[in-house]
Amino acid sequence: MIYLFYLIFYGFLLTAIVGLLASWIDRKVTARVQYRVGPPVLQPLIDIVKLLGKETLIPKGASKMTFLGAPLAGLASVILVSTLLWVNNVSSNSTFLGDLIVVIYLLTIPSVSIIMGGFASRNPLASLGASREMKLILGYELPFVLAVFVPVIKSGFSIRLGDILNYQLQNGVIIGSWSGFIAFVVVVMCIQAKLALVPFDIAEAETEIVGGPLIEYSGSGLAVYRLMKNMLLFVLPFFLMILFMGGLRFDGIHLLWGILKYVGLVAIITVIRNTNPRVRIDQAVRFFWGPMTVLASISVIMAFLGL
Amino acid sequence: MNLGNELFKFDALANFVGIFITLFSLLIVIYSFGFMRQRKGMFQYYIYIILTLLASLGVVFSNNLILLIVFWGFLGLLLYLLIGFGQKERTPSTAKKAFIIIGGTDALMLLGLAFIWKIAGSLTMDKISIALNTKVAIWTYLCLAAGAFAKAGAMPFHTWVPDTAEDAPTPVTAFLPASLDKLLGIYFLARITLDIFQMNGAMNTLLMGLGSFTIIAAVMMALVQHDLKRLLGYHAVSQVGYMVLGIGTGNPIGIAGGLFHMLNNTIYKSCLFLGGGAVEKRTGTTDLDKLGGFAKIMPVTFVTFLIASLAISGVPPFNGFVSKWMVYQGIIDTSKDGSYLWILWLVAAMFGSALTLASFMKLVHAVFLGQRSKEQKAPSDNRKETSSSMLIPTVTLASLCVIFGVFAYQIPLKLFIFPSLKMTDTVFYGIWSPGLATGLIIVGIVVGIIIYLLGTVAKTRETEIFVGGEIVKEHPEMRLSGTEFYNTIKEMGFLRTIYRLAEKKVFDIYDIGKTITSGFNKVLGTLHNGVLPTYLAWCLLGMIILFFILLR
Repeated sequence: MIYLFYLIFYGFLLTAIVGLLASWIDRKVTARVQYRVGPPVLQPLIDIVKLLGKETLIPKGASKMTFLGAPLAGLASVILVSTLLWVNNVSSNSTFLGDLIVVIYLLTIPSVSIIMGGFASRNPLASLGASREMKLILGYELPFVLAVFVPVIKSGFSIRLGDILNYQLQNGVIIGSWSGFIAFVVVVMCIQAKLALVPFDIAEAETEIVGGPLIEYSGSGLAVYRLMKNMLLFVLPFFLMILFMGGLRFDGIHLLWGILKYVGLVAIITVIRNTNPRVRIDQAVRFFWGPMTVLASISVIMAFLGL
Repeated sequence: MNLGNELFKFDALANFVGIFITLFSLLIVIYSFGFMRQRKGMFQYYIYIILTLLASLGVVFSNNLILLIVFWGFLGLLLYLLIGFGQKERTPSTAKKAFIIIGGTDALMLLGLAFIWKIAGSLTMDKISIALNTKVAIWTYLCLAAGAFAKAGAMPFHTWVPDTAEDAPTPVTAFLPASLDKLLGIYFLARITLDIFQMNGAMNTLLMGLGSFTIIAAVMMALVQHDLKRLLGYHAVSQVGYMVLGIGTGNPIGIAGGLFHMLNNTIYKSCLFLGGGAVEKRTGTTDLDKLGGFAKIMPVTFVTFLIASLAISGVPPFNGFVSKWMVYQGIIDTSKDGSYLWILWLVAAMFGSALTLASFMKLVHAVFLGQRSKEQKAPSDNRKETSSSMLIPTVTLASLCVIFGVFAYQIPLKLFIFPSLKMTDTVFYGIWSPGLATGLIIVGIVVGIIIYLLGTVAKTRETEIFVGGEIVKEHPEMRLSGTEFYNTIKEMGFLRTIYRLAEKKVFDIYDIGKTITSGFNKVLGTLHNGVLPTYLAWCLLGMIILFFILLR
């Protein structure tokens, strides 16, 4: 029963609130960069509520179950992974739910749900966008896996998140070492792609394929996808903080530190997204399989050498 | 001396493999009632299936290596005969190819048996224990492993699997290359690796290297296939890599993961083949360009196919994830021996799993989702499932995928895997509680449904799709089948060269062998020019040499 509480409170409500706030920060900063005023704080929430009031349209001949079920699967997996991260961060000796490998696998499900939703819409543009999303996954998965294992190597080959946190508590954060820093840079690039933000928003590319997988979504389905994406805006940086920055701590000044770390990460993501143009899919894959994989390999080798 | 104990043995590993061999045979027979209806020679077909079952059980339960290889050879012949039931033009040559590759490695195994007799002086499996410290022992191991690899379809003896998958009847493919041959090949590999030989680090590294290479290379080939069954055939090869990798780690959790993956793979792979067969039966084609949009027409088949696809891609909480996760832990565990190569194997395995996901997304799109092709437009708009005898096996297997994933510790690991390796469940050092996760996922979905109900999901409206204002009905060519999804990757840098070479079958051991053989033929063939004096000259020359040697 206690897990149910964790899930509803931490996994869903808290994550959603922080995610919506982060989304507001992102939009506000973007607006300021473009000399606009930007939306009020509640705007991301208002958007979702408004979408819930809109009519739910389903493309003719599509499998309704898949079309409406895909957003649910994505949302459920984000809630699950968020609960996992929260519990393991709060009590680092717990053996709750899963380890690093589980998190890596759970984090692909939101993308898979978007792909399935796009496929189910029977729209050629959606199929095209979903296939780009899949190619993007192929692209970033290689450097992502390499870089994520740098903390594992550093913390003595443990794949438990708690052990990685404990190691950082005693020996300083992993981003403080050279190998950790390089791996961190690689992972930031990868989560930019995981969040489907510019320059890696190739799958959705509003100006080109009209939202790609989301083109046929409206009303409730789109609202759930929106919520899922906003929650990912919290979950992915949080995952990064646990792996590289010692997680979130709740004693006194450390809490402020944690909030600063998170806001800093969101700021980095926003800055990247506002200063780059969209790349083509083959350029993105080349970027991840080329320079990023090389950087990640270097960081792994340096981690083996103890740097 | 009890002859029964000498020739047969019934330990936990053999029992576990035997149980599943019987289960799969039963399911395939049920499926064949539907799929093979109205074909000729069905009497022989079912006889062959039953003989295959008996021979496989013989392999699993024999304790004497000679007995084992007799059953093993018999299986090769039955495979040849069963492929012959295919109705494609290339079927005979495919059957020949499979027979030659399997038969050739059988010969290697015989050679290995001779070596074993020389080294150990016994052919009873539970009495042999050979250390891999001499050259002969290493060659013996390699000979036997070649047999296991060819049977299971690991590289470099894999090339018969995709061809067979494409040209043999679907139940046969689901029966032999996808399930029984995997079980038997990996069973034999586990036997020789765990019982007969004492492994050393170098051999383990070789196994892990071969496994990783198999995963990546085969799945890269699968990514660009245009045929439903051929694509699945390449995955049948790629998944073997995880099993070889797991067994190659040499530590308990890795080996348990490898065996568990063998079991899981047989379950979801035959489910995929059988689901694909249902579509094939309905449309008469397996060309991905001509399929599409079947989710609405065959909803049950679609759901089973989707579950099996997610399971093979290692999406939690299905069974494929648990075994992959165990293999990964085994790989990380090898770092304790001071090895640095583990990160390479790990990345290969995890990246291979992403590639698997990619090719299954393509497959699901091309067959079940996406836009319907022109060829399938005609009467197929109304819902029409396949016959129940074809649904029972797929539904059974898909539910096994879920059950073995969610209750992984309680059912498959506790009942089958751990007893066969004589170990307990204390080996894990990672964390994964599938039951709890499934419960929480369900709660998460309920949360999503509540959000839906707050919205307008109760009354939906159907609309035409929007393609920038074009009317799709008037432009049937505005359609993505899915086969072209990964062309950008195919055209990328050095991958393009590799794909080109692979299309020319440069990496096919059978074609290499064929080239060498026909090369010899050409040289020797020039001697047979049909002119009598030439032949007489050769005879004379031979006699002179003979006399020279004998009378010297």
